[in-house]
Amino acid sequence: MSERGLRIQQLRASAGGTQILKGIDLEVEAGRVHALMGPNGSGKSTLAFSLTGHPGFKVESGSVTLDGADVLAMAPDKRAKAGLFLSFQYPAAIPGVKVANFLFAARQALHPGDLPPAKFRALLLEKMDLLDMDPSFMGRYLNDGFSGGEKKRLEMLQLAMLAPKYAVLDETDSGLDVDALRAVGESVNAMRASETGKDTGFLIITHYPRILQYVKPDVVHIMIDGRIVKEGDAELAQRIEREGYDKIREETAQIA
Amino acid sequence: MPSATLDKALELRSGRERPGQFWKIDLDAIDFSSLQAAAPSDPQIVAPSKPGLIACGLETARRDHAEIFNGAFGSVTGTLNDKFAALSAALCNSGAFVYIPPDQSVDDPIEITYTAKNGALFPHTLVVVDRGARCTVIERIEGESADAVCGIAEIVAAESASVTYAAEQNLPLESQAFFTRAASPGKDASVTWCVAEVGAALSVSRIDVLVDNPGVDAHVNGFFFPRGDQHVDMVSTIRHNVGESQSQTLIKSAATGRGQARYLGNIRIAPHAQGTEASLRDDALLLSPRAHIDSVPALEIGANDVKAFHGATIGALDENLIFYMESRGIEREAAEKMIALGFFEPVVERFPTAAMRDRLRAALEAKIA
Repeated sequence: MSERGLRIQQLRASAGGTQILKGIDLEVEAGRVHALMGPNGSGKSTLAFSLTGHPGFKVESGSVTLDGADVLAMAPDKRAKAGLFLSFQYPAAIPGVKVANFLFAARQALHPGDLPPAKFRALLLEKMDLLDMDPSFMGRYLNDGFSGGEKKRLEMLQLAMLAPKYAVLDETDSGLDVDALRAVGESVNAMRASETGKDTGFLIITHYPRILQYVKPDVVHIMIDGRIVKEGDAELAQRIEREGYDKIREETAQIA
Repeated sequence: MPSATLDKALELRSGRERPGQFWKIDLDAIDFSSLQAAAPSDPQIVAPSKPGLIACGLETARRDHAEIFNGAFGSVTGTLNDKFAALSAALCNSGAFVYIPPDQSVDDPIEITYTAKNGALFPHTLVVVDRGARCTVIERIEGESADAVCGIAEIVAAESASVTYAAEQNLPLESQAFFTRAASPGKDASVTWCVAEVGAALSVSRIDVLVDNPGVDAHVNGFFFPRGDQHVDMVSTIRHNVGESQSQTLIKSAATGRGQARYLGNIRIAPHAQGTEASLRDDALLLSPRAHIDSVPALEIGANDVKAFHGATIGALDENLIFYMESRGIEREAAEKMIALGFFEPVVERFPTAAMRDRLRAALEAKIA
């Protein structure tokens, strides 16, 4: 069991020839909620895309293991099959592909044959209800013409339907009104309280601490300029709320 | 055979310049005079039983329904001065006549199937929809041999009539297809073309709506998807000669392998056609480096009080979409397929009947595989 966890070691990654991640060490434990906070441009989304294998980001060195398996050696779909999930900050709109069909294809890819269509549909309706989503969503084209809040709810619906081992939520709270934010928080909490989701490890990437009012983090990591500069408990997030990032930046700059 | 008519047709130019440097076929160099025409035959016609509804072959139409048929046959396509329409008219050896009497509403589609075998086919379908009547026609063009098909589909819609005409060309891959499809809607009439150019080595088609009356609602929906060495040349033209009418054109195209295509989307709004609303949207998807699509929206707007919109996109599959699907565990190949099929879905879903839509989806899926 010692290998459990999403372990990121000395990860360096670049985009467009510029190094953005400058040696990230971070471990997301199974069943725990980790918050990754940092100012804009600190490299949070780059970390999310590097973990999931976006072709626009180049991992230069370091390692990422998921319960011991070498994530960086896998194609993006294999990473998902290994149990990694990314909730996108800007989910792609795919006209002509219906939400229900897409989710069924994804569920089949990750958990082959475990849910016949009728049971899949029942589960989908149950999860949609939890997210205050109208059943008509199933027949809509994936994110096509969706509002910001609808897109984020759909990401949470996918999270609930795909039941990953480790979920990275990239700025899921950005652009959400209070109702949507609460729905997202309740969805994550419901998942954590469920049998299939109780061991899921979360890495909640956020600029603002407000989502953490709904989902209480066990560990808070602060990222500045491509490095993890500070770690702490939920109290650290509250400090960010009060002081912003400048003070931490000053403190840690002296250490560096 | 009226050889003077044929000679005139043979002399006409196609009016279509070669679409691009990779396009291998010169339409004006095709030798139509050597085509062996098949013996005259009727298509397979399946029509619901309704009072006054006529659905028959051309010979029956000429004999039993001359007073409706004669005035309408060729009345729309004959005005186009089109080489392929003229050839088809000169060599016509098959056809169907559909007539819907006034105020008759026909829900079930009238299905007409042409099958090319034992020689070139020159079919002419004429649909006359009387005042306030409504119907849907599905035309399937298939082949048991690789013989060329050069056909006409013609719609004459009276005042307040509504007609949907869906054509599915799925000829063998060695075949050649030339189609002229033209409609003349009356006042407040609604005309919808749905055209799927699936098969044939070469598919040359034009779709026309002549808006000569106010209140017309015209729709042109179409798609094509050349793969291998298939060539597709499609032109749609909506002529808003009279105002207070609207039209919508939606074309989706993809090409893979060495597939070549050109789409020219014309919207012509005459100087006095005030109050016209016209939109044209065409999207093209390139799935291989040697595939080529020229997609040209052409709006000619002569009036000042009109709403005209056009949007055109062309490109490869978006890597961000593929990654999004991959991140959900869907393999790249499957993701590409879903995205490409999805690309066509907004136009496929405008075709009538679930059976037809499923057939078209299957045809598209086979092209991607």
